[in-house]
Amino acid sequence: MSGVIESGHLERELTPEPIAGPAAGALALHGALFAALLLYGVLGGLFHHNLWGNQGSGGAMQVTLVSNALPLPNNQPLNQNVLATEKPSPAPAVPSPKEQREMDLKAIPILGKQTKPQQKTTQKTQMHQPPPMQDNLARYGEQNGTSIPRATQPQSASNGPTVVGDNDFASMFGWYVSQINNKMANSWYKQEVDPRTPRGARVYLVFTIHRDGSISNLQLDRSSGSPTLDLSCERGVQRAETFGSLPSAYNQNTLKVSYYCEY
Amino acid sequence: MKRFLRFVPLFLVSLATLSTPRLTAQDWVHTGTNLSNPTIRIAAADFKPVGADAQTGALKAVFDATLYSDLGNAGIFDLVSKSLAPQAMPGSPQEIVLSQWSAAPASASMVAFGALSVSNGRLVVYGWLYDASNTASPQVLGKQYNEAASEDMARTVAHRFADEIIARLGGGPNGIAETEIYFVSTRSGSKEIWAMDYDGQNQHQITHLGSISLSPRISPDNSRIAFSTLGRNGWAIRMYSLDLGRMVSFPGGSAGGSNLSPAWSSDDSKVAFSSSRSGDSEIWVSDASGGNLHRVTSLTGPNVAPVWNPRTNAQLSFVSGRTSEPQIYIMDQDGSNIQRMTDSGYAVSPSWSPSGGLLAFSWNRKYGPGDPGGQDIYVFEIATMHWLQVTHESGSNDFPSWAPDTRHIVFQRTIGHHTQIWTMISDGTHQQQLTNAGDNSMPNWSWK
Repeated sequence: MSGVIESGHLERELTPEPIAGPAAGALALHGALFAALLLYGVLGGLFHHNLWGNQGSGGAMQVTLVSNALPLPNNQPLNQNVLATEKPSPAPAVPSPKEQREMDLKAIPILGKQTKPQQKTTQKTQMHQPPPMQDNLARYGEQNGTSIPRATQPQSASNGPTVVGDNDFASMFGWYVSQINNKMANSWYKQEVDPRTPRGARVYLVFTIHRDGSISNLQLDRSSGSPTLDLSCERGVQRAETFGSLPSAYNQNTLKVSYYCEY
Repeated sequence: MKRFLRFVPLFLVSLATLSTPRLTAQDWVHTGTNLSNPTIRIAAADFKPVGADAQTGALKAVFDATLYSDLGNAGIFDLVSKSLAPQAMPGSPQEIVLSQWSAAPASASMVAFGALSVSNGRLVVYGWLYDASNTASPQVLGKQYNEAASEDMARTVAHRFADEIIARLGGGPNGIAETEIYFVSTRSGSKEIWAMDYDGQNQHQITHLGSISLSPRISPDNSRIAFSTLGRNGWAIRMYSLDLGRMVSFPGGSAGGSNLSPAWSSDDSKVAFSSSRSGDSEIWVSDASGGNLHRVTSLTGPNVAPVWNPRTNAQLSFVSGRTSEPQIYIMDQDGSNIQRMTDSGYAVSPSWSPSGGLLAFSWNRKYGPGDPGGQDIYVFEIATMHWLQVTHESGSNDFPSWAPDTRHIVFQRTIGHHTQIWTMISDGTHQQQLTNAGDNSMPNWSWK
């Protein structure tokens, strides 16, 4: 009985209202939503391409001297220094502008058709610029082999003759930093992280390494927003237990480390 | 028409949701690239022979080969093959040209090099480890060794230098190049206890009892081996002193019934074993000299194969048959707080990792008629209850034993009717057969 009343009520609700206007509006709105989704997908895809060569599996390191006498070098040079490639991209672009200039010379007596070759040149240069695949390939290839030197060379060059006490840890003992990365990569189990955690989420931890390699003061510096990611990264450090005794040439007793795990 | 229009938005939304997986698929590729774990590429230069002593060449060959294989066995390096390495033999930091080593084809990020000389019956080795990519301060390690000149010592010095490198670059636990593996071998006619270096070199017999000896367990200080032997009164726990070179008494292990599978606590103070002197097999604990004996478990069904948690010595893992098929359990050392670790199949031979967090054991997960599963080695993380299968579809695998670096595992593998001893990295890679002659089983890796 109540069902009959409800259906009658619904009919009265629906029939008198003009449906075409709102429906067209809704159609337009959903069309716009769909276009926005498509656009987001395409842009998001392009954006993620840029993350390609960024990090190794365990995330990157920032290491500071405990004394904090010197400001830290950025991690950024790691990523910006990826210029030299052994195989530069195929560049047959050189002959084509010559041909176009010839075309221009011939075309001078004719009045109307100067614009077309110009358009072609701009199109070709644009076609050469956008594909990010070559950059990404080069970065990926180089990242694997030479993550240590990249961190060390520029700084040691700028610092000139090295003095142990005054130098930055990462440039002096790049191998120790990469060893922390390697060890963390093995002891951090990504499968412990909830798969709903957004890709690229990062948790920052801070801890102290003592001279004998033991770890203390493990603290969550910046949460990723995902409790499982935070916990898995902390567990990774706990599981590692030790990162090996500090380099004997290093004259401090402790080393502060900021480490992030990126899902 | 209006009804149709009413469904158009729904259709569009569903289309949009259907198309999203295709758009986000790029994320997945991005994650894949992040999984690579760059290993350290290391080159071991041939050491430079110094001096004119006739022994130098032979000892240098032994040293070079041992160092090279130790670094390869470590499982943490990408070792530059000798054919790609430069021909140079730098004998000192002044002689090495780092760019030679860091350039292709060697592309090494680390170089181990040095000089070796023999004079007046002494072997002197200088060894360095350089970071080839850090020209400003390349030295990571510098070592000097001075030992009696013999092939054994050349091998030992190479082991020590390799251990230093592995400890430096491996981030923590010491290398295992100087460790030993104890095992049971039939090659003398009866089952006796044997020993060998961790890489299978220098295999030699320890006991000559002419009976059946099983499950050798070396003490943490490398002074004694506990094992079980079939004697006149059944199976007894016996003790062999490596310091004295003879059997020593262990009174608690020879009462009636079967006494099997001894296990040392990591502080050398206690031995746990299984004994059926009270009926069923139960876990018993005595002190290291065989006195002060007491029973820990008192449960129905057999309880065997105890191992201590070497980190705390407060827990034991063992195998119990209380639910018909044997399963892995852990308990506190007083027998309380028993937890079952495996849920099904046929699980035996637990070995507790030196770090205390992992159990390795042998598991046939699909055991029983009509369910022919393979017996494989598994590694189980106690804190998270996650396990990982580390051997796959190759023979029947049993008796895993952790190396002191918690990185390597030694185990026995039976293919056909032949049982041999293998080692591997604890993720199942770098599998290597160490023994060939006779049947060899029940390996036990020394503590240091």
